[in-house]
Amino acid sequence: MRKIFILLILLYGHLYALERESTLKMYHQIFSALVAKPMINVYTDDKEYRKVFATSKRMLLSAEPEKSDIILITNKSALFKIMREKQWAVKEDKKPIFFVTDYRLLKNSFDIVGAFYWRKGRSQLLFIKNRLKAYNITLPSEYEDFLVDEL
Amino acid sequence: MTPKHTSKYIFIIMGLLILFMVYLQFSIDESTENLKKEEIKKSEQYAEKIAKYIKAEADGSLLPYLEKHTEERETLNKILHTFLTEQFQYIFLLHKDQKGHYRFLLDGSLEDPVEYNTIFFPKSKRFNSVYSTQEPQIIKQNEGVEQIWLSLLYPIVEQGQTQALLVIDLSQSHAEHLSSFNSPVMQLVRWMQLFLVISFFFLLYISYSFYKLRKSILVDPVTSTYTKVYLQEFFDTREVNQYNAMLIDIDELRRVNTKYGHKSGDTVLKIFAKEVSILLPKKSYLVRGKGSEFFVIVAKESANLEELAKKVFKRLTQKHYLIDNETISLTLSMSAIVTPTETDSLFDVQRSLDEKLFEIKSRGKNGLGIIGNVSGDELKYKNLDYIKEALDEERLVCLYQPIVNTKTKEIVKYEALVRLIDKGDPGKLISPYYFLDIIKGTTQYIKMSRLVLQEVFTALDKHPNINISVNLDLDDLYNAEMMSVIVKKLSRYKGIADRLTFEILENKEIKDYEEVAVIFQQLKTFGSKIAMDDFGSGYASYAYLIKLDIDILKIDGTLTQELLHSPERTKMMLTSINDLAEKFQYEVVAEFVSSKEIYDMVSQLGIEYSQGYYLGEPKPLDP
Repeated sequence: MRKIFILLILLYGHLYALERESTLKMYHQIFSALVAKPMINVYTDDKEYRKVFATSKRMLLSAEPEKSDIILITNKSALFKIMREKQWAVKEDKKPIFFVTDYRLLKNSFDIVGAFYWRKGRSQLLFIKNRLKAYNITLPSEYEDFLVDEL
Repeated sequence: MTPKHTSKYIFIIMGLLILFMVYLQFSIDESTENLKKEEIKKSEQYAEKIAKYIKAEADGSLLPYLEKHTEERETLNKILHTFLTEQFQYIFLLHKDQKGHYRFLLDGSLEDPVEYNTIFFPKSKRFNSVYSTQEPQIIKQNEGVEQIWLSLLYPIVEQGQTQALLVIDLSQSHAEHLSSFNSPVMQLVRWMQLFLVISFFFLLYISYSFYKLRKSILVDPVTSTYTKVYLQEFFDTREVNQYNAMLIDIDELRRVNTKYGHKSGDTVLKIFAKEVSILLPKKSYLVRGKGSEFFVIVAKESANLEELAKKVFKRLTQKHYLIDNETISLTLSMSAIVTPTETDSLFDVQRSLDEKLFEIKSRGKNGLGIIGNVSGDELKYKNLDYIKEALDEERLVCLYQPIVNTKTKEIVKYEALVRLIDKGDPGKLISPYYFLDIIKGTTQYIKMSRLVLQEVFTALDKHPNINISVNLDLDDLYNAEMMSVIVKKLSRYKGIADRLTFEILENKEIKDYEEVAVIFQQLKTFGSKIAMDDFGSGYASYAYLIKLDIDILKIDGTLTQELLHSPERTKMMLTSINDLAEKFQYEVVAEFVSSKEIYDMVSQLGIEYSQGYYLGEPKPLDP
């Protein structure tokens, strides 16, 4: 009985780890297209995402948004808070890059270069050409289909 | 049905049940699939109706209509919403812009509505395919899609141009709901499958255990040769007469065990068995019997038994064994038999080998005895158990051979000759040659004598004008139990006992004539007569004529037969016996009168009575 219990826990842990791994893998792939660094500094104030990013070996969870390469925004209040506190402006070095998990957030700031979100049960990845250009980012060719001129 | 077959049938039944379960599962899956196909067909009909309705509303200019009429767009969204049930997860209308991006025209969702012209990235290239071919398609959603089972893509075409795609997403939960229709049956089937699979493996485990158990029963743990149980099973399916057999016994294994210990004894047995196996040809089987005994069966076509037996005996007696740094050799007692074609009993073969082995051991061990031309009857009938069974079942009969007056050929008496009746063939009679020596000295002999006397007295009772003689062994007279049987019979049949003659067969020298004389007197008290059988051969001596009160002399058959080979000398001898008998006033019977030639000579010699095949074969009194 004890063996079965341990086995179930291990199985659950394994499934959880699989989901976490696939999330990390996906975000690392997206962020690598945006930032050409072996170790990418990511900031997010979302607790769930922080937990996930904390386990990554190729992305470093940043405590300060201004020192990060990418800021991942998951909701409107988080976006406004960061915008308000830091008064971000797109500068020459263009860092950090904003990336969101909600389509609607794209309309709130021109600093946000792309989003990964769910629509009608389908995952959606989207990059806005002009905003990438402002950051001097050129995406690899495999992202061609996800580039849009306007929303 | 044997246990072996039972397990085979159980496996077949289990296999069939598992196949049935698989078929059942396949049928249920098929039924669920049919249910789903029905649902898809219905959905296609819905899609067609919705598309028609939208087209009718737009009146041939869908895109400008939706772009300009915000309120109508909202109305259409609400109409689409009414179709959203548990079955349909999402219903929306897409348009492909000039840059190839899909954008929302309509969305039936109220909870999470998508604004007009919002960009959308479908997860399948089939969207483009439908757009270009204008043929509706159903696509199964894969990675990157959640809660959707299937997507129905229906093109809305105006003037030959695809204007939009109506997308109806069938929910995953609805697919599960459809599957659940058969789920109780499926659940039952799965439990049954599980039960069957577990049972199957359990059966396999039992079979394996049974195999191991059987192996431990069929294979001797010390020598790795077969056991006698294997031998029995072996001949359950094979003919005994297709195999010759040998019995090998290591003479002094006990001495090895005592001197070097049982472990060393076992080692010797192991090496010995291995050596025998090497010497045996193909289709030979080595079986360990009790102790140091090994039984070998060899297919007749594999080897000449005599040559093989000699080779095995020679090699095994020459072999040396190293035990505790000492080299020893072994002597063997060995018997071999060429199994007669008509034999079907392994037991008979074993018994013959045992007897031969016993004979070799009695002669001082270390020898080989080969039983060559033995008949099947000999193996079968020379068997105490077989004889005992025949006597228990009273399968016994007497044949009567006439004794005639030599001159007139008139029958004066019959000699009762015992026969056993074959178990399987009541018409086949078994000669005393096969069984008399085996039962002598046993209770079976008394039993047989009692049955013979009973039959003879019954015959005398039934036929008041005939005389009968029966054979008695000299040993029988010394046997109190036997004499008691005879005396009881004579007392019971007093009136007819005087028509009975006891023919005394003598096979050893009489030491106490007085005792025999008393017994003869006892028999004669009832009126019976005493005949001295086989006179002139063996131990029968002239002393009998002096010391015993006998009535008849039966001249030994071998003497009578000599009339053919040495007529003159034999005639002299027989004349002498006849003259002597005449003087003693004994009746004389010549036995083995088997031809006219002998009969004529016996007649010429004046021997009063004759008996033999020429004058009459032994046969039943009542034909």
